[in-house]
Order: sequence, then structure tokens, then C-alpha cells
Amino acid sequence: MQTDSYANNPEWEDVQPIPQDDGENPLVPIAYSREYSEAMDYFRAVARVNEKSQRVLELTAHIIDMNPAHYTIWQYRQSLLDALKMDLNTELDFIDVLAEEKSKNYQIWHHRQVVVEKLGNGSREIAFINKAIEDDSKNYHAWSYRQWVVQAFNLWDNELSYVEDNLRIDIRNNSAWNHRYFVVFSRPDAKIDDSTVQREVEFSKRMIKIAPNNGSSWNYLLGVLRKCGQSVETLEPFLDELSKDNIQSPHLLSTKILLYEHAAQKQERSINDEALKLCDELASKYDPIRSKYWGYRKSQLQAISI
Amino acid sequence: MTLAFFCLGSLSLLGQLDSAVSEKDRKEWIDWIYAQQVLPDPEDLDKSRYTCGFKGSSWAGHSYDPQATSTKYDPNDTASIPNTYTALANLLLLGDDLSRVNTKAIATMLKHLQQEDGSYAPTYGSSETDIRFVFCACVISHILDDWSGVDIDRATAFIRNSQSYENAMGQSPEGEAHGGSTFCGVAALTLMGKLKEGLVDRDELIKWCLARQISGFQGRPNKKEDTCYCFWIGGALQNLGAFHLVNDANLRSFLMSTQTIRGGFGKDSESPPDVLHSYMGLATLSLMKEPGLTELDTALNIPIAGVNHLRKLRGHQ
Repeated sequence: MQTDSYANNPEWEDVQPIPQDDGENPLVPIAYSREYSEAMDYFRAVARVNEKSQRVLELTAHIIDMNPAHYTIWQYRQSLLDALKMDLNTELDFIDVLAEEKSKNYQIWHHRQVVVEKLGNGSREIAFINKAIEDDSKNYHAWSYRQWVVQAFNLWDNELSYVEDNLRIDIRNNSAWNHRYFVVFSRPDAKIDDSTVQREVEFSKRMIKIAPNNGSSWNYLLGVLRKCGQSVETLEPFLDELSKDNIQSPHLLSTKILLYEHAAQKQERSINDEALKLCDELASKYDPIRSKYWGYRKSQLQAISI
Repeated sequence: MTLAFFCLGSLSLLGQLDSAVSEKDRKEWIDWIYAQQVLPDPEDLDKSRYTCGFKGSSWAGHSYDPQATSTKYDPNDTASIPNTYTALANLLLLGDDLSRVNTKAIATMLKHLQQEDGSYAPTYGSSETDIRFVFCACVISHILDDWSGVDIDRATAFIRNSQSYENAMGQSPEGEAHGGSTFCGVAALTLMGKLKEGLVDRDELIKWCLARQISGFQGRPNKKEDTCYCFWIGGALQNLGAFHLVNDANLRSFLMSTQTIRGGFGKDSESPPDVLHSYMGLATLSLMKEPGLTELDTALNIPIAGVNHLRKLRGHQ
């Protein structure tokens, strides 16, 4: 990376830098470093005349390294890739290095997508994303980008086992749960038959038994049932089984309440007192931080008209 | 521009904006904001209609002109939707009358940035489309009182499609449900008057939001609590009419633990303070009606002084 000052660099001799003109009393005077200010002064000058050259490519790399959030610099760099007919794999190398430190930055991921789209080849992407997820298993950008890659290059086959590897490491990784839902239900050629639904329901039940307080697996289970139009009442034996094992998870109790609510609505009768008792227990004992919610839930249930 | 919003917004919530800012600064800062407005170029109307609105700073080096009525088209110096939102909010907080805002040009820019699926790109040429910019587009349209840049049905459909199996919103369809995205989706629906049509299951959404409270709020299940999610989720609950179900005492004690001796709030008790989290901390305390703080409008995410000023400009009240 270039550290020599541009003013003393013969390669930049022909360029007259353009300073930022911010008036006399800017609202947000930013204390830019001298290095950043100077690089930007030169960037302004070359962007003004739309210069597309190797030295500008290097200049954008220098600026991105100091400030990866500068959207326009990325956009300019993309136009350089086209104009200079750059080897796009070299650009992926550049992003590989950059992403090691800055994987939470939005622009890096978008730039990667733009380059890979131009390249029309996603063969490096899964390894790249895996690395980001190893560093931060819930990186939102990495998981979103993974969805795009899987879809764009039809890479569905290994995804379910990848999700399971992640859940083995951390059963509470909600990003992995969301990805599972995507892989199961958004695959264009997916057949969502009874056996698929059964598999997903059994999988989430197994995960709930391992960690009954894990909201991610409960949300997934209820989401699958809703998606497939299955009634929550089918869960009754499972909930009873958990209760017999003396499990007191708020998610278990809250799902029981849901069952009572459904039953009352379906049979057009008032709510079973047991549901109201569960609301009280959640409020006072099992989920006291949400005591106001459980009071509200109780009044909702009492309002089910007969 | 956005940094300025967090600073001016915080001062406004503290009720100190008028006393902390001199008349000279107020006027010159308003001028500075107008100098960031990208306007139609009479010589290149065709291209410049995609780029109008406010940019974040004067980084591109064009000369400072707060009274301009046109700017020269420059593909590298385009306005963005988030900066247009915070610029307008800043102008309202500083008591400007918006008379130099080119409303028509901004509505046209919005119209061109809305995508087929109802989402918005943040700026011309970007493929980074998601729910954040739908929210900003709605706030802009509300402030300007001109909704011609928003296809409301499509925007509503996009937000509906962005609700995952958890019944809360992700950044875009199929994305993981997320506190920030949920705030944006709910606030946008509120501003469009489409809460009913846009929500898959309001009760379940409220439950999801409340389930994020540890003491403070986390942004997603099984993540750490963070000052900014106290506001994003608290604000969503307020727009859903359910903020009263939050555990105030716990939330307040979490926020107090994120304040530092230097002043300001960090994202948690171990982090240094910054202007974003300071604004978010104050905004959440304001939702809880903390004495000494002013109210805020959670659909617009603008302190009440700015919103009242807008009402006056529009001849209400």
C-alpha cells in the first residue's frame, strides 16, 4: 500500500489536487488525518476528469483501506475494473485480504457481489463466506450474501449439512436457523411434502430437547408448522413429554397457552383456566421480565368470547 | 450529515438545542446543509434527475454555495436517500423553513430509486437495496408532504415479504429477522398508513419484539443486548402501540450502565461512548418519559421540537 505522500511522488506530478470546500462554518467538520485528506484531494482531481488508470486503482485501494465506508470510491473502483479490463480474480484477492479486518462493513460485501456477478463464477465464494462465518458466526452480511451465492450459482446441495455443522457448534445460532429455513423452503426445485415437514418438525423437537430455553428452535418449529398449514395442536404430545421431564421453559409454557387459545377459538368456548394460570406463573416466576406482557396476554385470552 | 443528526437530535431531546446553539451557528449550519443539496442541472436534466437530494458531505470538492438553484451534474457526487432524510431532519431541528429544498427534484429521485420489488436503492447506481431505504423514503415523503416518489402498494408488499418465519422483518425477503429492520419496516408502514396490510401477524410481532428484552434489548434472538436495539425495538413497539408492555425498570438500569463517566452512552457497559449510541440511549429514555427529556416521534425518528416545527410550516396547529 502506498504511503509516500502524493505531492512528492513524480508519478502524480501532473495532477493538481482539489481541496474540499466546506464554507467557513461547516456543521460537521471532520478531523481527517493528513494522509486521508491528501489522498482525497488527489482523488477529487482525477475523478473530476474521469481518469481511468492503474494509479487511480491504487489510489482507491489506499483510500478504501483508510475508510471502507466511502460508497463513491467503491463505485469508482467498479468502473475502473471495467475500463482497465482487470482480472477479476485479482480483485477477489484484494477483497479476501480486506475482509479479514473489515467484514462488518456493508460496502465490501456489495463490492464482492458486483465483482462475482461480472465474473459469472462463484467457485471461490463458499470458502470466502465460511471464513467470515468462522470469525463471526452471526455476521448478517455473510449470511445474506450466502443466500445470494447459493441462489445465483445453484449451490444448494451442501447447505443443509453446513447448517447442521453450525448448529452443532452453537445450537443458539439464529442466523443458522434462518438459513435452514431458506435452504428448505426457498430452493426452487424443493418438494415440500409430508416427509420434509416431518423431518423439519422432528429436527426442531430434537434441538428443543437439547436446549429447551432456546428461542431460535421454538421459533423455527412454530414457523414450519405455520408455513405448512399444520395446526399447533399436533404438538400436544411433545409438550406433555417435556412437561413430564419437568422442563419449565417459558417457551414451553407459552406454546401451551397457544394450544389452549386455539382450542377455545375452535370450539367457541371460553379459555381453559389452566391457560390463565400459566400466564400468572410466567409473569411471577418463569418470565418475570415480561410480567406486563403476560398480564396483557391473560386479558386477551379472557376476552375470547363464548 | 448523519453524525450531525445524532448530535442535534440528542441536544433536542435534552431540551438544550436552542440554548446550546448560537444564532450565528444556527444560520451558518443551515447554509452548510443547503450547500450539500444536489440540484437539477439545466444542461443535463436527463441524468441529473437521478441524483438530486442531499449528500452527506462536500467531499467531492465542488465549490461551496448554499444559495444554489442548480448544480453541475457529476456522477461521482450524487445525493443519497439516508442523507436526504437526515438533512431534512437537521433543517427542521434547526428551525429552517425548508424554502430552499427542491421538493420536486427529490420526489423524482425517489421515484427512480424505487425497485420493482418495492425496495429502494440508497443512491443512483447502487444495488444495495433493502428495507432501511424504504423507511428513509417514507420519512422524506412525509416531511415534504409529497408522496409521488413512493409506490405505496409496492413498498408495503416489500415490507410484508421481508417478514420471516419469526414474524419480524429482515433487511429483505428471506433475511433473518432483525431489530433494526423491524423498526424500519414498522415505521414505514406507520407513515404510509398501512400497518394493517403490511403486517403478517401483529400480535406475534409484538411478542417477538418483547422477547428481545434481556434487560436492554438484543437485535436478534440469542445475541447480546445493545443500546441501539433498545431504541430500534422500543420504537417499533411504540409504533405498534405496545411500548407500555416493556419492563421499564430493567431497561432503564441497562441504559444507565452504558453511560460513561465522560458522558454519553456506549453500546454496552464495556464500550466507549459514541454519538449514535448516545442518541439511541436518550431516545429510549424519552420513550419511557424520563423527566427532563423531550418527546420524540417514533414513526419519523425525529425529536418533537422538529416535528412541531414541521406542523407549523404546514399550517397545522
